[in-house]
Amino acid sequence: MGSKSYWNKLYDTLSSVKTGVFLIIVVGVFSAIGTVILQRPTSEPEDLKRNYSPETLLWLDRLGLTDIFHSWWFLVLLVLFCVCLIFVSLDRWPNAWKAYAKPVRFATAPFRVGLPFTAKFPVGDGEDALGTAEKVLSQSGYAPEKVSQASENGLFAERQKFSVFAVYIVHLSLLLIFAGYIVDGIVGYRGNIQVPEGQARNVIELRDNKGGNSKKTLPFSIRCDAAGMDAYADGSPKKWWSKLALLEDGREVVSKTIIVNDPLTYKGIRIYQASMGQSGTLISMKLAATPVAGGEPELVTIGMGQSVKLQDGESLSILRWVPDAYVQDDQVFQRSDEFQNFAFQLGLTAANGETKSLWMFPIQQNSTKGQKAAYEFAVTEEPKMAQYTGLEVSHQPGQFGVWAGVVVMAFGLIIAFYTQHTRVWAVIIESGSGKQLWVGGTTNKNRDRFQAKFEKIKAELAKELGTNAPAAEA
Amino acid sequence: MSEAQVEQRRQSGAVLLVLVGLGIAFALIVALLAAAKAHTGPIYGEANMLYAALVLYTGAATLYMGYGVTGIERYVNTATALTALGFLANTAAVAHRWSVAGRPPFSNMYEMLLSFVWTLALLTLIAERAYKVKIIGSITMPITVVSVILMQLLPSDVRPLVPALQSTWLQVHVTLAMLSYAACAVSFALAIMFLVQDGMKSEAFQALTSTGTIAIYAAMLFTRFRGGALAVTAYDLEGKAEVMASRGHPLFVNIPDLGWLYVLVLIAAMVPLALYIAGQIQKAPALFDTASKAMFLSIVVQVLGLAIFVARVKNGEYAAPGVDGFYRTAMPANPFLLAGMVGGIVAGLLYLLLLWRREGLQKMLPPADVLDRVTYKIIGIAFPLLTLMIAAGAYWANQAWGSYWSWDPKETWAAITWLVYAGYLHTRITRGWKGRRAAWFAILGFGVVIFTFFGVTYLLPGLHAYAAG
Repeated sequence: MGSKSYWNKLYDTLSSVKTGVFLIIVVGVFSAIGTVILQRPTSEPEDLKRNYSPETLLWLDRLGLTDIFHSWWFLVLLVLFCVCLIFVSLDRWPNAWKAYAKPVRFATAPFRVGLPFTAKFPVGDGEDALGTAEKVLSQSGYAPEKVSQASENGLFAERQKFSVFAVYIVHLSLLLIFAGYIVDGIVGYRGNIQVPEGQARNVIELRDNKGGNSKKTLPFSIRCDAAGMDAYADGSPKKWWSKLALLEDGREVVSKTIIVNDPLTYKGIRIYQASMGQSGTLISMKLAATPVAGGEPELVTIGMGQSVKLQDGESLSILRWVPDAYVQDDQVFQRSDEFQNFAFQLGLTAANGETKSLWMFPIQQNSTKGQKAAYEFAVTEEPKMAQYTGLEVSHQPGQFGVWAGVVVMAFGLIIAFYTQHTRVWAVIIESGSGKQLWVGGTTNKNRDRFQAKFEKIKAELAKELGTNAPAAEA
Repeated sequence: MSEAQVEQRRQSGAVLLVLVGLGIAFALIVALLAAAKAHTGPIYGEANMLYAALVLYTGAATLYMGYGVTGIERYVNTATALTALGFLANTAAVAHRWSVAGRPPFSNMYEMLLSFVWTLALLTLIAERAYKVKIIGSITMPITVVSVILMQLLPSDVRPLVPALQSTWLQVHVTLAMLSYAACAVSFALAIMFLVQDGMKSEAFQALTSTGTIAIYAAMLFTRFRGGALAVTAYDLEGKAEVMASRGHPLFVNIPDLGWLYVLVLIAAMVPLALYIAGQIQKAPALFDTASKAMFLSIVVQVLGLAIFVARVKNGEYAAPGVDGFYRTAMPANPFLLAGMVGGIVAGLLYLLLLWRREGLQKMLPPADVLDRVTYKIIGIAFPLLTLMIAAGAYWANQAWGSYWSWDPKETWAAITWLVYAGYLHTRITRGWKGRRAAWFAILGFGVVIFTFFGVTYLLPGLHAYAAG
């Protein structure tokens, strides 16, 4: 007994509109807070540190306020709201269904009193009057059926009765949208990947909500055949594009040139153009080699893994390439993978097999002057670096629920706002003074419009029945 | 003093006040236009057409308000004609820009305002025709005037679209946004009129107006007060662009002492509300009269604040904290400070109009229940548009960024707007909320719309940053 009342209470709470309203207000308030407090997924960690003191930040993090939209309690709120929506709809469904499937066909005396729009006309013959009413109602777009109860005869007609379902359709659409969103939250993922030109990659860095960087291996690899930016005349970017091919078991399964706003979709995984840049990988660079002994400088183009013969027979190669270098304890270290403070080590092999190595830091000093070798080298133009394309990869199977929800909602809103369920009744009433034709009607919304329509029906009836004015209204 | 004498004094006081108000409004427009761009190009060109629209809209707004003051029918007919002419000029401006850019004008704040103003003028004409709400222009037309002035200050050169904005869905999204926001603006105007017609006390309107003004100046001080100075965006007059401190972050310069001036303006705006609250608590209606006087004073202080702001922005170079050198600033760099100030002044003038011409206004307005129903109908149009706007935006985001919903502030606030209007419709349909409660709901809804449209872009960070132009 105790547990039953407990469940009843829970059901009553969850099937009350008040609970739903309360929940959605709470969701709204926390959403608003989430736009004011910087959120971890969308802000740089430095921005958070700059804007909040360490203690504040600690508490914001503890309370989940720096990542409201991915916190478990926000999800719980959304799920509770969905449950509430379902219960509210279930609770009210029987009444709506009854109104739809088993409408009140015959307007009994007590029912007649409760209707908002009614009129009475004195008539001679009941059957004739009912025939006239049938004609007038048909002209107004109704399809009246004959009904009777006890000895009384009458008519009943209704229009757009599906309008009673509008609210259920809209609620269903909300559920579809939330369900899609929740599915994506559980099984969906988003991440990014940088693919240098000419190479293939298959591991994406997941964008999880804790600011960590977990990785995920895709069921295929993405090869970038070419990438670039087209510019407007003024130099501002017009188009970023990447020519991609997807490889499955080493076999090319699909290829497409993607641009911003036009992704590639394969097996439910979508690949978007996100960014573009220079990778730290060298393609080639141009060097001027000036013989220390004197003579004209010689221009050479050299790439990674290449060996170039100089005029004197010595051969030149790149031993090490560091895109972003720093020196500590006489050792060269790599700071980042970006092409910034680049450095490289050249190997100069003489005819006798002796190899000399030379380090160069072109940003600091564009010369190998002072390093003992037969040549001095200098970089003559910006090294040609491999482009990489930055791709966003997302798998959101729930989005179809979301789009379906949007379509259903549009449909539901159209029904809700632009259709109305109207019902009209007619009854021949026998009273002491004679027979009367009683008509009445009601609508589930948009009262004004129905009132105008009802007035028109009244006027038509008065005309057809030959009475100048309806009898005193009930 | 007899009732009639009081009424007569009020009448003459009204005329004086309105003349002062209109004079101030005119002076403001002239002052602001001095800061506007030079109008070159063909006579039918966008800049000239927009200027023509501004003049016509200003005339219409003045006449609508004049109609509100005097009740002379002739005014409103002329006002309608001016609105229609202004709408034609506005259409020409839109068309010219469209043909020059080769795409619909929806890509930055300037273009969005251009479309917004166009829609609002159209809806005003429709509301007048279809629903016979003649006075509506006295609320919507000042909004268009403020918007067009604002546009004069925003960078308006036709820029090629960055790749993320090259999408049909974006155009669908923004068109729907403009339509639904304009419909929300109209519903707001109707809700205010309903409250007038429904007999809400004038002092309650005064409290509403002061609250709005306080919100404007509090937001301004909250974001821009720097130890007595007011932070404004630095502007490169030759390059006609904001000076950027780093990518995506404009450089702020501090105008000394201006922050304190705005503290004064805020205090002046708080006095009428304080008096109103005191009047409510002590049940002393005499305080409401004092509050109205304080309101008038507050408007004068606001105008002074604006004038000093304009003067100091136009003359002088200011230091930026942490950066060497002095920088200039300009009106185009600070459109939203200006919009807030002008908006506060216009709201105050509208309140004075109401205070002195209440009975006349009530005679001119449709009955309260008609206004209530039309508000509902307009929201019934705005809400599906709002829904589709959010859906189109989500679809576009999904195409451009790979995520249909990322909870960025603009998205979140659009959803909150949707919730508020959904609340309006729910309470109305299932609970039968009508009249005053519904009107307050509609006003709240439009407040959220304003915040989503302006506040989020300028107060909160987010992905929609390029909308700032």
